[in-house]
Amino acid sequence: MSMPTTTHCDILIVGGGLVGCATAWHLSRLGFKALLAERGHLNSGASGQNAGSLHFQIERRFLEQGEKAAADGARIVSLNRLAIEEWKGIENMLGRPLDVAMHGGLMVAETEAEMDLLAFKVARENELGLQTRVLSGTQLHHKASALSPNLAGAAWLEDEGHANPRTLVDAFADGARGQGAVVQTGTALAGLSMQRDRTYRATLHGPDGEITVNTPRVLLAAGHWVPRLAGLLGLNVPLYPAPLMMSVTDRTEPVLPFLIQHVGRRLSMKQTEDGNLLIGGGWPSRLAKRADGTPDLDRPAIVEPANLRANLDVGARVMPGLAERSLLRTWTGTTCISADQLPIVGEVAAAPGLFVAAGGSLFTLGPVLARLLARTIAEGAAPEELTMFTPRRFAHLDAFAVLP
Amino acid sequence: MSTYDIAIVGGGPAGLAAAERTLAAGLSICVIDEQQRPGGQILRQPPATFSVPGWLGGAPYRKGRALLDRVSGDARLQWLGGRSVLGVMPDGEGFALTLSGTAGGIEQVRARRVLVAGGCYDMPVALPGWTLPGVMSAGAVQTLIKAQQVLPGQRIVLFGTHPLMIVLAQQIVEAGGEVAAVCFAQPFAAMARTALAHLPRALRTPGPLLAAAAGIMALRRAGVPVRYGAQALRCEGTDAVERIVFSNGESIACDVAAMCYGFLPQADLIRQIGAEVRWSDPAGGWEAIHDEAMRSTVPGLYVAGETTGVAGSDAAMAEGALAGVAIAQDAGALSAEEAAAAIRKPQAERQAMQGFIDLLRGVADPRPWLPEPEPETLLCRCEDISAGTVDRAIADALEVGPSFGASAIKLRCRAGMGLCQGRTCEHALVRRIASARGCREAEVTGFRPRFPARAVSVADLLEGAA
Repeated sequence: MSMPTTTHCDILIVGGGLVGCATAWHLSRLGFKALLAERGHLNSGASGQNAGSLHFQIERRFLEQGEKAAADGARIVSLNRLAIEEWKGIENMLGRPLDVAMHGGLMVAETEAEMDLLAFKVARENELGLQTRVLSGTQLHHKASALSPNLAGAAWLEDEGHANPRTLVDAFADGARGQGAVVQTGTALAGLSMQRDRTYRATLHGPDGEITVNTPRVLLAAGHWVPRLAGLLGLNVPLYPAPLMMSVTDRTEPVLPFLIQHVGRRLSMKQTEDGNLLIGGGWPSRLAKRADGTPDLDRPAIVEPANLRANLDVGARVMPGLAERSLLRTWTGTTCISADQLPIVGEVAAAPGLFVAAGGSLFTLGPVLARLLARTIAEGAAPEELTMFTPRRFAHLDAFAVLP
Repeated sequence: MSTYDIAIVGGGPAGLAAAERTLAAGLSICVIDEQQRPGGQILRQPPATFSVPGWLGGAPYRKGRALLDRVSGDARLQWLGGRSVLGVMPDGEGFALTLSGTAGGIEQVRARRVLVAGGCYDMPVALPGWTLPGVMSAGAVQTLIKAQQVLPGQRIVLFGTHPLMIVLAQQIVEAGGEVAAVCFAQPFAAMARTALAHLPRALRTPGPLLAAAAGIMALRRAGVPVRYGAQALRCEGTDAVERIVFSNGESIACDVAAMCYGFLPQADLIRQIGAEVRWSDPAGGWEAIHDEAMRSTVPGLYVAGETTGVAGSDAAMAEGALAGVAIAQDAGALSAEEAAAAIRKPQAERQAMQGFIDLLRGVADPRPWLPEPEPETLLCRCEDISAGTVDRAIADALEVGPSFGASAIKLRCRAGMGLCQGRTCEHALVRRIASARGCREAEVTGFRPRFPARAVSVADLLEGAA
């Protein structure tokens, strides 16, 4: 599609991943004229490279950082409850099958100490209205016979599961376009400035050359590239790249209907609709480097073989049948974490009209955060559910920004 | 874990020639190959327990066999056969190679420098009926004959555009098989015109041309029909191939239909580590970009042979020698003067061959003659993805802009996600994307090659961890 060299829209969305496309979907539905620019192709970043877990139990990464972080993790539970409802309705909402399988999730434990941690976690979750419950080793084996009989037990949540990260973003993008949004791939944000009237002027480099966009609102939804893009305005968003690895085996008969996580080790494991086993759980890969030794975020991260084996080792301990499969592919993808591990979603205090949305777990949380973010943008104020994610908690980092 | 000065991936003509030069310079080397014995595909050896009188006795194999004898007899050669290289990663000042080993488990090898001389493989062409048993690649037929002394069928048709069919037909006849026909898709006049245009330069190395002429004569004597302008449309049969049908409506009965439209460079390892490649015209696939000393764009990583573009075993030997000298020089084992002297002969040989290589590429150019799949023909046979499904995914991607490559289509429809790691369908996806985008194949990015380069059992990986 060729575009005029100067254009106007109600909102410029930068990033064609899940958050960008889903927000474009909601806003175009509300009558906003949205222009979405994606530098590569749709779904080419973390949205398409994560392993598709729908996880709503408090994550291990919060539990392992002590009680303060565990309390933060607990705060996210209320959002998780909304996310469960969002995922239950998403295929109807988008009008197409998306391989959403919510047959339950198990966070397993191997030791008594891990069982104690699960009990602590489940108690917190139940207080917050999340219906997790502890299964003994026997109950676990009864529920999931493919898992090792040596496991001590698990926490069970019936709403967990997985969805297909390959198709979800296209569904949102197609829907958004049907509602009038313009989606441009191969189009990079090359310049961004705030005008005297506090609107924004953006320069895009696309397949047909340079485009200038005048817009009252900009949403940066570009994952770990958000800090770089916010830097165009001299603003600071404390997000840090986290390069991870995921692995996939050949296809096999259905053996694992559930999402599997581990309370004491990094592990996520599931079986896709096509029969492949997907193994991940937050094992790091290594960022590629430029010639000068600095990290190169524009090239794929590099598989770390020791971590790959450790990941598969945990997987095979939890489900011995994994060892009988063939590893087809290990891929890397780079998500990001924020300074306090919670996503950063909302309007930037120093720059009215500038919104950001990034920060980890955004496959599970992306659809509901996009809905809440669209409401924020349409209503001019953030709904209560978003207040804990607001960029305002980092407003001190922009104390020295010069705008416009 | 052992650290070598140089790890050579591929024990064919290029790898062996590089081994000879680096051994002579006193470097410690290992040669890793998927086959048990050295030689590569061209000199694919039968198992050591076989006795095959007159194995590859023809003139085109003489030079390679001499090299094979010299290098495989060298006691300093660390031969790591029967192993696949799953990945090459940067590791300190050098590289760590992860190998799937013979006795289960995996091995790690460290090397200060790596040469990838991975060879090439037959281009799989998706035409209707190509998944029927009995439809195979010319290279597969040749491998069965060379390495196992086995004929895959009673009545074999060869079809495609590549003159290797002449050589293979002779080998089938010598092995006692029946070649029902050799079918070149291109008309004789077109082949002759292309050949004549390249002939003056090609005559600098007349050997292969004379061999080809002798081959055609031999086939004539053996009563093997050689047809031109015979464009294959589809393979037909109930439980296996029974006939191949051509565009003029004619069909030929057969129990093996072997396709030969050209060869694709093995480039998955070099792409995995981030070396730059370019689309390899005319047959396709990705060839490594390199300097005159065979250095890739990744420091410490060298390339030689078909990995740099399919040019035959003589060119591979010359390139392997050039790479070996450059490695020895970069490692400080040869002075600049010694290196300059050492490259003179292989450089001159490699240059002299270019005329014949261009002639062969021109004559064999498959592009105008590739059969078209039907919408229901499988393009990705690991994941059962049809050409129609791929084309729909391409059309959908095109709606939001032309900037997409094969990976985007893989994400949309699973083509290339299976056991072969995309080696079968990637080139077809690239061609179809280029055609839909209205651009050249060279402008389309391929799949992002991932670890492991070959599927590997999880148990083997875990055994290696223990």
